[in-house]
Amino acid sequence: MNKFVCVRLVQANALDLALFQFDYDLTFAVFLLNADKTIYGRFGSRSDRRDAAKDISLEGFRKALTAALDLHKRYPANKALLAGKQPRPARFKTPEEFPSLAGKYKPRLEYEGKVVQSCMHCHQVRDAERRFLRDENKAIPDQVLYPYPMPNAAGLALDPKEKAKVTGVAAGSPAEKAGFKTGDEILSLEGQPVLSIADVQWVLHNANEPSTLSAQILRRGKKINIALDLAADWRRQSDIAWRVTTWDLRRMVAGGMVLQDSTTAERRAARLPEDTLALRVNHVGEYGDHAVATRAGFKKDDILVSVDGQTGHLGEGELFRYLLQRKMPGEKIPVTVLRDGERMNLELLMQ
Amino acid sequence: MGAVKKPPIFFAGLLFLGVMSLSAAEDRKERVLNDRKEVEASGNWIYNDLPKGFAEAARTGKPLLVVIRCIP
Repeated sequence: MNKFVCVRLVQANALDLALFQFDYDLTFAVFLLNADKTIYGRFGSRSDRRDAAKDISLEGFRKALTAALDLHKRYPANKALLAGKQPRPARFKTPEEFPSLAGKYKPRLEYEGKVVQSCMHCHQVRDAERRFLRDENKAIPDQVLYPYPMPNAAGLALDPKEKAKVTGVAAGSPAEKAGFKTGDEILSLEGQPVLSIADVQWVLHNANEPSTLSAQILRRGKKINIALDLAADWRRQSDIAWRVTTWDLRRMVAGGMVLQDSTTAERRAARLPEDTLALRVNHVGEYGDHAVATRAGFKKDDILVSVDGQTGHLGEGELFRYLLQRKMPGEKIPVTVLRDGERMNLELLMQ
Repeated sequence: MGAVKKPPIFFAGLLFLGVMSLSAAEDRKERVLNDRKEVEASGNWIYNDLPKGFAEAARTGKPLLVVIRCIP
């Protein structure tokens, strides 16, 4: 650690979005970079709402730091190798430039005043980006809806205690078709040296739909090149339910409802086949824009069986994608719910 | 007498494990204020001052480690 200049940031206020591009749902993110702002690597991954540390470890962190020091030692001779790790053009330079955040925060925390309220959280950046698109009546693209996919979206399970070591390959997944094996170490992706799972996510986040990613792996001491083919809808394998930013998606298209796919037992009790829509309302909001569903007559434990004519099986995230990419604010969507065994028709306002 | 200096990895560990282990008894304001106090007391971290970090990296030739850690 003493080989680094260590900086701790606790706020998104005035964050340089042209430099610090990462998964804004994280509560712990690390950048390893040169004084000239060239990024060596990123660290910090998450895929679980309750267990924020499930996908990271001190061992993995230490290995990422060591690898960054090695890149630093060889810098700037290796600058071209790092080109893909650098930030992409940013629509707004700071969060405060997003219309929904403009004028609400000062650049610094107010330690002598209401310090908590003066702090902008990182997730607000993603919320603001989606709100910007929505307010412009634009569909929210998959990249914004499923940001920084975990490698399991491509069928790869990686060891949090390592930089990027494969611990499992899902049957039938793009990773399996590409030839990945358990025990493989991913050395580089798209030519970028990989320091962490977050570095893998960076490449995935910026990958096209569809795309073919080149990977160099180390298998039993031998370097092997692999091509990972990703289909056009590959991002949709990502789970977004854990993300705090999904809360605002619930406001936009579910009127504040939290939905969960019915269990087999619940389906049996309600006589709903497995291949049909059966999203149970686990929660209805009480306040403001999150109470739109409540005001429209939706109740906890209702089961949504038809939304905008869609009656096939959809998870909460899949329904959100359908609505966010097809329905704009102000539209009213017909919804049929099952309540106490009776079907009831309601309308849901898109926001 | 100043605060006893702890090794940098100790504070990295604190930041890291803080994801899980913040005391529920502390309210948010206390946590924010204590966080600044504790991290600054370590003497190894530049707190919420990125330009100072870049200047220090340029001066020393060291790479930067920037931790973005929200205080829930």
